[in-house]
Amino acid sequence: MTKTWKSIGLAALLAGLTLSASYAEAAGVLTIGRREDSTTFDPIKTAQNIDNWVFSNVYDVLIRVDKTGTKLEPGLAESWTASDDGLTYVFKIRDAKFSDGSPLTASDAAFSLLRIRDDAASLWSDSYKVIDTAVATDPHTLTIKLKNPSAPFLSTLALPNASVISKAGMEALGPDAYAEKPVASGAFTVEEWRRGDRIILKKNPNFWQADRVKLDGVEWISVPDDNTRMLNVQAGQLDAAIFVPFSRVAELKKDTNLTVLIDPSTREDHLLINHAHGDLGKKEVRQALDLAIDKKAIVEAVTFGQGTIANSYIPKGALYHYADNLQRPYDPEKAKSLLAAAGVSKLTLNYLIRAGDEVDEQTGVLLQQQLAKAGITANLQKVDPSQEWDMTVAGDYDISVNYWTNDILDPDQKTTFVLGHDSNNNYSTNYKNEAVKDLVGKARLELDPKKREQMYVDLQKMAKDDVNWIDLYYSPYINVARKNVENFYQNPLGRFFLEDTVKN
Amino acid sequence: MHRYKFVLTRPVQFLPVLFGISVITFILVRLIPGDPARNILGTRATPTALANIRAQYGLDQPIWLQYFYFLKNLANGEMGKSILYKIDVLPLISTRIEPTLTLVLASVVLSIVIALPMSAIAARNVGRAPDHAVRIVSTFGIGLPPFWLGLMLIILFSVQLGVLPVSGYGSSLGDKLAHLVLPSLTVALSLSTVLTRSLRSAMVEALKSDVATAARARGMPEGIVFWRHVVPNSLVPTINLLAVNIGWLIGGTVVVESVFALPGMGQLLVRAIFSRDYMVVQGVAMTFACATVLVNFIADIVTVAVDPRVKL
Repeated sequence: MTKTWKSIGLAALLAGLTLSASYAEAAGVLTIGRREDSTTFDPIKTAQNIDNWVFSNVYDVLIRVDKTGTKLEPGLAESWTASDDGLTYVFKIRDAKFSDGSPLTASDAAFSLLRIRDDAASLWSDSYKVIDTAVATDPHTLTIKLKNPSAPFLSTLALPNASVISKAGMEALGPDAYAEKPVASGAFTVEEWRRGDRIILKKNPNFWQADRVKLDGVEWISVPDDNTRMLNVQAGQLDAAIFVPFSRVAELKKDTNLTVLIDPSTREDHLLINHAHGDLGKKEVRQALDLAIDKKAIVEAVTFGQGTIANSYIPKGALYHYADNLQRPYDPEKAKSLLAAAGVSKLTLNYLIRAGDEVDEQTGVLLQQQLAKAGITANLQKVDPSQEWDMTVAGDYDISVNYWTNDILDPDQKTTFVLGHDSNNNYSTNYKNEAVKDLVGKARLELDPKKREQMYVDLQKMAKDDVNWIDLYYSPYINVARKNVENFYQNPLGRFFLEDTVKN
Repeated sequence: MHRYKFVLTRPVQFLPVLFGISVITFILVRLIPGDPARNILGTRATPTALANIRAQYGLDQPIWLQYFYFLKNLANGEMGKSILYKIDVLPLISTRIEPTLTLVLASVVLSIVIALPMSAIAARNVGRAPDHAVRIVSTFGIGLPPFWLGLMLIILFSVQLGVLPVSGYGSSLGDKLAHLVLPSLTVALSLSTVLTRSLRSAMVEALKSDVATAARARGMPEGIVFWRHVVPNSLVPTINLLAVNIGWLIGGTVVVESVFALPGMGQLLVRAIFSRDYMVVQGVAMTFACATVLVNFIADIVTVAVDPRVKL
C-alpha cells in the first residue's frame, strides 16, 4: 500500500513539475486561440477563412493587399507592367527563397497559377480561367497572357489561395504530404500540426523580409467554445483569441490585462429577398420592406453597438464604397402606404433562420416585431445551418439574413455574385435587371480607375433603388490580446500581419 | 473453464451488429438535409466546382454503390477520404482516439472514487441524515449541465486559483494528466451520481444478505463485514451499469471535449456532422460502435470473473 502511495505521489510531483514547465511559455511565441482547426495547407483545396488566414503567415503571394485593405503592394513580384490592351502582364520576381533554402523563381509562380486554374482538386478554377498562358521567360520574369482584359485580375493574385508554392517541393513530396507540411516562402514555416489541437509555426529564416519578423513562432490553437477561449486569455494561458462574440466586448474591455482589438472588416450582413416569390417581385414591396426595418435597433441589440448601419452592398472602407448612397429611413407608416399602393394587403413571409446561431436567431425575433408594425407577418423557420444554405440556394425561402466577406480587394467578385446574373441566380435572390447586368460586365473590363469607380457608384445606386436585397449592417473583426502583445492586427480582408507582431 | 466459453462464441455475434450499425449510420447521415459539396465551397460555389467535388468523392453515384465502395474500403482496412480535411479518415481518427479514451478512463476511475465512499456512507446509514444528504447531492449532480459545470470549474481552478490549465490536451504525460483533471471531473460528477444510486441499493441488499448475517454471527466487526463481503457483492450490477452507460458516457464527452478544447473524437464528430463530412461521421460512428461492443464484452468477462455464480 505505502509503495503504491509513494509512486502516486511521485507521479503527482512529476505532473506538477511538467505543468509549471509548460506554463513558462516560450518567449516570443505568440499563442492565438480560434474557433476551429485548419483543414489543409494546400491553398487550392479550401475556400475557408480559417485556412486562408494561416496561409497568409506561411505562404507569400505575388501581390499583397496592404494594411488598409484598399491598395495592392508588391509581394514576391517586385514590380509589374501591363500592356495597353490589358492582355499581357509582365512581373519581375524578386530574389527570394523557399523555407527549404531553395530559390524561388518565376517558374514556381507560373506553376502555382496554372495549378489553381487546372488541377482537378482546385476549388478556385473558375476565378483563374481568365489566364491564357503563364510562362517564366527567365528565372526572374513571369509573363501572363489573359484571354480578355480584366480589371480585377491583379487583385486575384493577392488571394491566399493563389500563393506561390514550390514546384520542386510539390513534386518531391506529393500533394498529400505537401498539404500537411508545405514548402513555402512566408514569414513562418509549419513546424508541427497537431490536428484538432494546434498548428505550431516557426520563424522562417529564409523569408525575404526575415528582418521584419520579431516573433520566434506562432501557435494557432483551436478552442471551439467561445467562453473557454476568452477565459484562456483572461487566465493568461493564451496571448490572444479571435472571434470575440459581440456580447463579450464590454466585459473584456473592463479587464486591465487585456486589449480588445476592433479592426474594420468587409463583412456585410444583409436580408436576402426571393424576388421569384409572389409580391416580392414588385420593387415597391421590397422598398416597403426596407422602410419597415429599423437597422439602428438591430445594430444596437444584436451587435451591442459594434456594427454600423449599411447603406450599400460594397462595405464601408472597401474599394469604391459609395458613402452617399441612399439610406431609407425607418418609417413603418410609409411602408404600409407603399404596400397599399402596390395593391398588397396581407403580406406573409417565410423567414429562414440558422438554428443555434445566436446572432441570427436574435435578429429574426427583432425583424419579426419590426415587420409586424408595417402589417407584414414573418413566420420564422429555424433549420440546421447547412440545411438553411441548401434551402436558400434552392429558392425555398422568402427572406433570410446572410452575410458576405470579401476575399479580394476588387469589388468585381462580390458584384458579379450579387448583381451579375451569374450561375447562382444573383445570390439566390432571383433578382433580374438587364441594365445592371450589362454594367457589371462593362465594369469588369474598364481599365480606367476613374470611369470604373463611377460605374460602381451607379451600380450601388441601381441596386439600392431595386432593393436587390436589404443592406443591414457592417461589423468589425473583434479580437482580444494580452497587454504585452503589440501590433496584433487584421486587415479588412482578414490577413493577420504577424510579421509585425511583437510579444513583450 | 466452460464458463468462459462465451469469450470464443460471442465475437461471432458482433459481426451482424456492426454490419447493422454501418448500414444505419450510412443511411442516416445521408438523410440529414445538407450538401457536403456546397458546404466545402461555401457561398462562392459555382456549378462546375460543385460537380467537380461530387464526382471526386463519388457523391454523384447511387447510394447503394456508395455503400458498396464503403464496404470495399473497409475490407481493405480503409475508411475513405474526408471531404473537409482531404485526407484518409483512418489517420484522422487514430490521432483523436487517445484524448477521448483517456478522458473516458479517467472519468470512470474518478467517478468510482467518488461513488464508492458516497454509497458506503448512504448504505450504512439507510434512512438517516447522511443517506438523505447523499441523495440530495446526487439529484443535484444529475441536474447540472456539463457545459455549465465545466465552465464553473475552469473559472474556479484555472482563472481564480490558477492551479490547472484552462483547456487543451498537452504533449507530455504529466501535461496531459494536468489537462485531464477538470474535464474528467466534469464527467465524473454526473456519472458518479448514477453509480452512487446503483451501488447504494446493491449495498443495502447485500447488508441484509445471509453472507453478512453469518459474518456478523461469527463476531466479525461491522467494518470488515462491509468491506470484505458487502462491497464485492454489490459490484456486479454496477459493472453492468457502467457498461450500459458507456454509450452515454461517450456521448457526454462530445460536450466536454468542446468546452475543454480536447482534440478528441467527439469534437471531430461534431464538426464532421456540421459540415456533412459523411466519411468521417461513418468512421467515428463505427469506432464508437466497436468501442461500445468491446466494453460490454469486457464487462461480461469481468462479471463472470467476479461472481462465480454467473453463467453466460
